[in-house]
Amino acid sequence: MKGVLIIAEHLEGRLAPSTPELITTGRSLAAALGGAARIAVLGSGVRELADRLAVYTLDVLLAEHPALAEYTGDGYVRAVRGIVESNSPRAILVAHTSQGYDFASALAGAMDLPLVTNCLALDVDGDRLVATRRLLNEKVQAKVEIRSERPIVVTMRPGAEKPMGPGRGMMTVTAVPVLIDPSAIRETFLRLERPQVQDIDLSGADIIVSAGRGIQKKENLVLIEEFAKAIGGVVGASRPLTDMDWLPKTRQVGQSGKTVRPKLYVACGISGAMQHVAGMKDASLIVAINTDPTAPIFEVAHVGFVADVLKLLPATLKELKA
Amino acid sequence: MALNVVVCLKQIPNPDLQFQISSDGKDIRRDALNYKLNGADEYALEEAVRIKEKQGGRVVALTLGPKRTEQMLREALAKGGDEAVRIAYDDPSAFDVGKNARLLAAAIRTLPHDLVLTGVQSDDYVNSATGGLLAGVLGLPHASVVTRVVVRERQLEATCELEGGLQRVYALPLPALLTIQFGANTPRYAPLPAIMKAARQPIKELGPAALGLVGWDSIALPYSFGVRGLSPPAAKGHAEMVTGSLEEQAKRLAQMLRDKGFVRR
Repeated sequence: MKGVLIIAEHLEGRLAPSTPELITTGRSLAAALGGAARIAVLGSGVRELADRLAVYTLDVLLAEHPALAEYTGDGYVRAVRGIVESNSPRAILVAHTSQGYDFASALAGAMDLPLVTNCLALDVDGDRLVATRRLLNEKVQAKVEIRSERPIVVTMRPGAEKPMGPGRGMMTVTAVPVLIDPSAIRETFLRLERPQVQDIDLSGADIIVSAGRGIQKKENLVLIEEFAKAIGGVVGASRPLTDMDWLPKTRQVGQSGKTVRPKLYVACGISGAMQHVAGMKDASLIVAINTDPTAPIFEVAHVGFVADVLKLLPATLKELKA
Repeated sequence: MALNVVVCLKQIPNPDLQFQISSDGKDIRRDALNYKLNGADEYALEEAVRIKEKQGGRVVALTLGPKRTEQMLREALAKGGDEAVRIAYDDPSAFDVGKNARLLAAAIRTLPHDLVLTGVQSDDYVNSATGGLLAGVLGLPHASVVTRVVVRERQLEATCELEGGLQRVYALPLPALLTIQFGANTPRYAPLPAIMKAARQPIKELGPAALGLVGWDSIALPYSFGVRGLSPPAAKGHAEMVTGSLEEQAKRLAQMLRDKGFVRR
């Protein structure tokens, strides 16, 4: 009960970007616990992926079964249950992604394990695991502790840790038995759907002016468009606006939308929820305009204006024309 | 086929507001907070009501929390819920998602349920864990981050959102649990007569005994949980703030855009 079990995430033969980050977290947590970190790859025909993971210099557990060809909650919970029972890790690390929290929380419920999710950092204090989390739209930081005789399931927020680079020396890839009855998997994967691209591609834009709930009304998008045009940019949006169909889904910047790296990103009335910031934090210059001085967008922005965007943009346009 | 739908709702402090830490450092100050129905749960409620309207059946709105949550439950009744149930667990902060989920699961066991819905996350603690925990504890097949639900006899088709705009579609047998994503539908407004009617409807209250417990703390948990402390977040960085009147701010912004070469001539 000292080791750390990391669950790799992959889709169509590609490793999720969150997995190398989990390896970083897993290795330092294992060191603090005095044990080793191992990573489990679940799937069908994923031997090559497991071999690639071994360059991160940690032991890889390969769990292959035709019933694991596509992710299902039942399939993953059953397969990982077997690995947990034979390895007895102290912690099970999973990325806080759509698939990751779907799986991690169901595993904790099914195996009656402690769970802490969406963590930014982990520390060990004696027999306790201390997790750092963010609450209430990033405005409050919390440290919570869990003490348990059982393996603790943890999900880590993507981007919270730097990804592990490849190390020197290969480690072993060990195939582990997967004892699952395919008929016991109740969720049936039907298909993967890709977004329809019939709009401009935000990910290639040099200048993006994005609107959030702070613009208040759909009619005010005209102002955002006018401003974007004046500086040669295109219009993006935060999730609430595309949810309300004010703009097409293709304009959404964030975790569930586009990841962008423009030269200039102007965030207009966007509070800066984690889901949005994940998609724009690497822009070269970020200008944020928001009425709330405590809005988390000011944490990632380079230049901030506490102002009503509906007043500041017209005034700035006037200045630009002058 | 008529369906019994249980939708789990949470009342949260409006996350757009500013927060202060309580004097013991273990909670936010709750004396002057403005509470509302959690954003994703609005979509879960709407989805539940739409499924009932199409399939027939009943929608039970279930929550866990102090008396103040009755206001939210009445809103759910006014928007199409048939029955409201409150687990009278009065901890105003209820930070431990594992305990909350186990209490909710105990209550759901006492209710007929073909389908259990939750929001994908609550915007106060952002765990995204209640739905999955419930599925695991109750032994239900499940799918998360659902943007579209189609009911076909004793089967569901659920479209689940992944990162980067990809979606995966699954078929699930009933009974099942789904966590509903923001934007899955367009939540309705409650009509005035429904609001008036909901104000008079009874709300069922479940105490520990109704869940087979001696007290709230007697629920079996495989761990002990504690809040070490809350603090304002350690800012990783902060924008250089441009202050002054609106005109001064506009001048500075225009100047900056010109200096950096972003203005088209």
